[in-house]
Amino acid sequence: MRTAYPIPQNLSPETVNNTASLLRIVALILISGAAIASRLFAVINFESIIHEFDPWFNFRATKVLASEGFYEFWNWFDPTAWYPLGRVVGGTIYPGLMATSGVIYNVLHALHLPVDIRNICVLLAPGFSAFTAWSTYMFTKELKDESAGLLAAAFIGIVPGYISRSVAGSYDNEAIAIFLLMFTFFCWIKALKSGSVLFSTVAGVFYFYMVAAWGGYVFITNMIPLHALVLLLMGRFSSRLYVAYSSWYAIGTLASMQVPFVGFQPVKTSEHMAALGVFGLLQIVAFAQLVRAHVSSKQFQSLLYYAVVATGLLGAIAFALLTYKGWIAPWTGRFYSLWDTGYAKKYIPIIASVSEHQPTAWPAFFMDLQFLIFLFPAGVALCFRQLRDEHVFVIIYAVMASYFAGVMVRLMLTLTPVVCVSSAVALSALLDTYIDPQEPLEDQEESKERTKAPDASNGATTHQDSTPVSPAMPKKGKKAAATAASSSSATKTQTTSSTVTFILDALSSSSTKKSSSSKPRGIFGFDARLAVILNTIGMLLFFVYHCTWVTSTAYSSPSVVLASSNSDGSQHIIDDFREAYYWLRQNTEKDAVVMSWWDYGYQIAGFADRATLVDNNTWNNTHIATVGKAMSSSEEVAYPILRKHDVDYVLVIFGGLLGYSGDDINKFLWMVRIAQGVWPDEIQEANYFTPNGEYRVDNQASNTMKNSLMYKMSFYRYPDLFGGGQATDRVRQQSIPSPGPTLDILDEAYTTENWIVRIYQVKKDDFLGRDHKTANAFAQGKRRRKAKPPVRRKALLA
Amino acid sequence: MRPHRLPLLLLGYLASVSFSSAVPFENNAIVRTLELGGSLVHVTTTYAIKALEPGVKTYSLALNPEEREKTSWLQVRIKGEKNELPIDESEPDQNRPYHLINVKLPRALAVNGTLNIVLETVQTHVTKPWPERASQTEDQALKFATDLFVISPYSTGVQRTKLRILNPRIISFTEPKNVTPFTLDSPVTRAGATVTYGPYNNIPASANQDFLLTHQQPINFHYYHDQPVIELLSYSRSHEISHWGANLNTEDKIHLYNAGPALKGHFSRLQHQMQGFYQPKSQPHIIPALSLDLPPGVSNVYYYDTIGNVSTSHLRAVQSPPKGMPVKSPSVLDLRPRYPIMGGWNYSFTLGFDTPLADSVGWDAKTGKYVAELPIMTLFPAAVIDNAQVDIVLPEGATDIEFFTPYPAIESQISTHVTYLDTTGRPKLTFTYKNLTPKHVDNIYVTYKVSLSAHLKKPIAVAVAFLSLFGIAMFVRRIETSIDPKTKA
Repeated sequence: MRTAYPIPQNLSPETVNNTASLLRIVALILISGAAIASRLFAVINFESIIHEFDPWFNFRATKVLASEGFYEFWNWFDPTAWYPLGRVVGGTIYPGLMATSGVIYNVLHALHLPVDIRNICVLLAPGFSAFTAWSTYMFTKELKDESAGLLAAAFIGIVPGYISRSVAGSYDNEAIAIFLLMFTFFCWIKALKSGSVLFSTVAGVFYFYMVAAWGGYVFITNMIPLHALVLLLMGRFSSRLYVAYSSWYAIGTLASMQVPFVGFQPVKTSEHMAALGVFGLLQIVAFAQLVRAHVSSKQFQSLLYYAVVATGLLGAIAFALLTYKGWIAPWTGRFYSLWDTGYAKKYIPIIASVSEHQPTAWPAFFMDLQFLIFLFPAGVALCFRQLRDEHVFVIIYAVMASYFAGVMVRLMLTLTPVVCVSSAVALSALLDTYIDPQEPLEDQEESKERTKAPDASNGATTHQDSTPVSPAMPKKGKKAAATAASSSSATKTQTTSSTVTFILDALSSSSTKKSSSSKPRGIFGFDARLAVILNTIGMLLFFVYHCTWVTSTAYSSPSVVLASSNSDGSQHIIDDFREAYYWLRQNTEKDAVVMSWWDYGYQIAGFADRATLVDNNTWNNTHIATVGKAMSSSEEVAYPILRKHDVDYVLVIFGGLLGYSGDDINKFLWMVRIAQGVWPDEIQEANYFTPNGEYRVDNQASNTMKNSLMYKMSFYRYPDLFGGGQATDRVRQQSIPSPGPTLDILDEAYTTENWIVRIYQVKKDDFLGRDHKTANAFAQGKRRRKAKPPVRRKALLA
Repeated sequence: MRPHRLPLLLLGYLASVSFSSAVPFENNAIVRTLELGGSLVHVTTTYAIKALEPGVKTYSLALNPEEREKTSWLQVRIKGEKNELPIDESEPDQNRPYHLINVKLPRALAVNGTLNIVLETVQTHVTKPWPERASQTEDQALKFATDLFVISPYSTGVQRTKLRILNPRIISFTEPKNVTPFTLDSPVTRAGATVTYGPYNNIPASANQDFLLTHQQPINFHYYHDQPVIELLSYSRSHEISHWGANLNTEDKIHLYNAGPALKGHFSRLQHQMQGFYQPKSQPHIIPALSLDLPPGVSNVYYYDTIGNVSTSHLRAVQSPPKGMPVKSPSVLDLRPRYPIMGGWNYSFTLGFDTPLADSVGWDAKTGKYVAELPIMTLFPAAVIDNAQVDIVLPEGATDIEFFTPYPAIESQISTHVTYLDTTGRPKLTFTYKNLTPKHVDNIYVTYKVSLSAHLKKPIAVAVAFLSLFGIAMFVRRIETSIDPKTKA
């Protein structure tokens, strides 16, 4: 035989196997290392800190779990959130994440490794990304082979689309959910292929874990039934499918109902009905199979016809009736917004106001997936060539996830694994073809026996796909081991001692190579191979470079700590958020109530340990609208609202001095919109624009805008900072009129170094019973008279 | 202690009241100097004594019981000498008009022999801000009160009290009344930053009810103080000795409180920034930063609080000197809190660092023991530590533990502390103190033995753990879980 490059001839098959196995383990360990390491940018550039908003709540809940134990956590009522309503935390969260950290914490402490709970929480996501890489490897291995699995693991390890939700410190449900997603899918595929109750039970258990960990479990709840349904429609019903699906559904659903937040949803809400329906359908089909085995074909035809019509009608009527009766909840708003991207903006502004619920921009796909996005369709197409059950799964997954990723930015996360898997399949097919040292053959004698071999592993009948021995065999030269090869290609258990066979097996597993034409087709020579392989390696290198760059620049900022650079290039940390939160924590009364926009609710609770009116768990729209109303109305209107809610401090984010664009003035229109949704008579969005329809803060701003509490709090005394000069808002590039706004009902309590966070204290009722405006004017007038000669312009100012 | 104090007390009483000839001493002169600070007042009283009877080796000092209560550091020396004189005193009792301290003289004085005894004390929590609230732009003024006369069980020839402050900005001080029996000159004089009460002549034995009622009177002193009044409400230090890491980790958890005048109104960042711009020095009751001396050779200095790392600080680290050489200069940490600490504000934080173990632990070949020298506290200039706790964690398996404290702790105990890679836990010594001042900066000495087997405990434990892990993995890998041996998944 001829090979394009020399390969060693004198190795025993065991050595080859063992070496390959060792290399795989080493590769997986290195991939895990890379996955963890690339997520540590956040820790190295900043510190070991919990990021952003939601993770702060998870962290706080985990601290309760770690210090008080599971039962206390389960019954935890948090009176400081949603003041004065409070929040039943145990029943309104997915506890999987906290439970995971709690278990790790307790195990480590039992092993006398007293790791701080914060470090566990910070490093949980990177740790689980290593598991994700491993489960993606297992999943892809089922799909193609080990080398594709390793590629998929490497991709998922460093792809920015997944890193964006799992950097160190991003302690959110997604951190563990993607691992659970991939592992559940792997177990499902495995169960489906083998009909093993063990694997479907494991799938059910991991499904339960997923339900306990992330609201996105609905994706699995619909993916697996959809897969089962498609297989059914393709005429691939088998006892394996029946066993796998029934065990998974029964165990998974029963287990998932143990999570209090989920409760009876699996049998009551529309999102879960597909799974139930498919479960029923499978029972019917299985029953039909049984009947068919006992009655004649003719009878069965008519029986089947009527039965299908009857059950279909009955099912639809029952579903409609139950929905009408209210037994089954109709689709929720979040669900509708998946189909109509404009829906949320119209009816539920609170969902639309979250940036991660916006439709995905096109560049985001390239930024998050780089060249994988081009390989992805190729991989899906390759799935069609074999189309075993698991390939069907990947195809469905790819279609569904692509759609959802286009609708909502955050669902890019569910797309990423399938992109990695199918890109790995495509790339590994490419590499298989080009690394394969076998030169195409001149003669066509083998072509006949070759054609039947590749399809042997297709279809749903075989489960020995992980041993792609046969395809390589026919390509062997007739001189060396022709007899052995031809006789063993079908039976797979050959006893040849030819080491070449094994090395070829290890290197090449391209299972489909049809050469029906008379001229030999294939890749000739070393240079042709090298050109393609070098290009591929180049692409991979650029991919790694891109991933590292995106991770370090875009996804590793904790967002509570901002970084800028000094004039000498060294890093300068802007730490205004923590400055303000720590001030609140140390120098205000323990039971003080802080009002802020809901974005900062979890952070105030976590950093400052003070009660908040609203937070990121946006369950009560009216309460949020109340805060929105207080922020967007004038002082006279806002004051009773503040007093009624016992507000002691009001916190606003102001980026005007530093040019920090994520501040409250830029979010202000959402507050107005949400308030308008509840009080359309009092708050109108149009009033906050200039007559030309512009959103301005300078002297052209509308009166409603200028009188709103938010405007006043943001710019209070801001022009004074510029001495006599023109005060400029650096975010909006507009100049602020001087003198700035006055405040009567609030006292400035604290402003941070760069003015990003401003905290105001709400004045108590005047002790002489005057209104605050009069009292304030009196106090100022008196002080002025004492300090300076009488000022006559007072009347003008007022 | 109790049995032989009672006669002495009685003796003091009787002596001062009637038998003046039986009194063993008289004071030629007493000079008291009070250096007024913020949290601390440093008092030095010099007694020039003369023996009237031979062979008496015990001299009694008297203090106002209230004053004794607020004195957190006290030392009696002979003037010009370094060594402390042993003293013997009862618990301060607020109900008695005075509190006696018996000083053991090194040798009995001959009749008419003289000696200068110096009593040095540091009082804490004796000043209070007045006015109690000050705005950001106002100055910081403090008030201090003490007694006019230094009391003594013996008669005194001449007595002076000097009050000294850092700068000459005195607002007011009390003019004593009814001092004509003792002086004909003006009872109080002021020169720059010093106010002197006295000299007052021929004061009878004053440690008795009679004198205190008729002549003793309070004097008030009101002055500007241009240093912040820092109080550390709690200070908990933990030393952890690691022989394997050749490292001593020191971690301080500090709750700092600005005990100056509370902020009037609210904090205005605008005003603060303007102030910083126009006048370089801010008002004394604002603490924008602290500068602390850390030992030389520190590494891995960390400074964080409940919500994470505080990135605004600078460290000038100094190499540790060669063994046996004196410490020339400390490492300096400029520590900036998250926010400027205004009067009445709190700030709690954690400060920790590593130092080479060789700098503080030595091996005594004679006894076969390790000797560790561990500082009780980091010096916070002019600050008082209200409650301090010092934990010393010794290596795992340390035995024969002995410790020597420079001054007795309120409470000390040994417990077990379990941390990384421990199997049985490490011995932990805990010392509790109250009202520590810069005078208390000193070391605790701990000696202990660690056997070779104790040293080897850790690597063996780790090795066993890994070995069992691999063993289990090997075992699990070889278990056949499939029911049907043919269909191996």
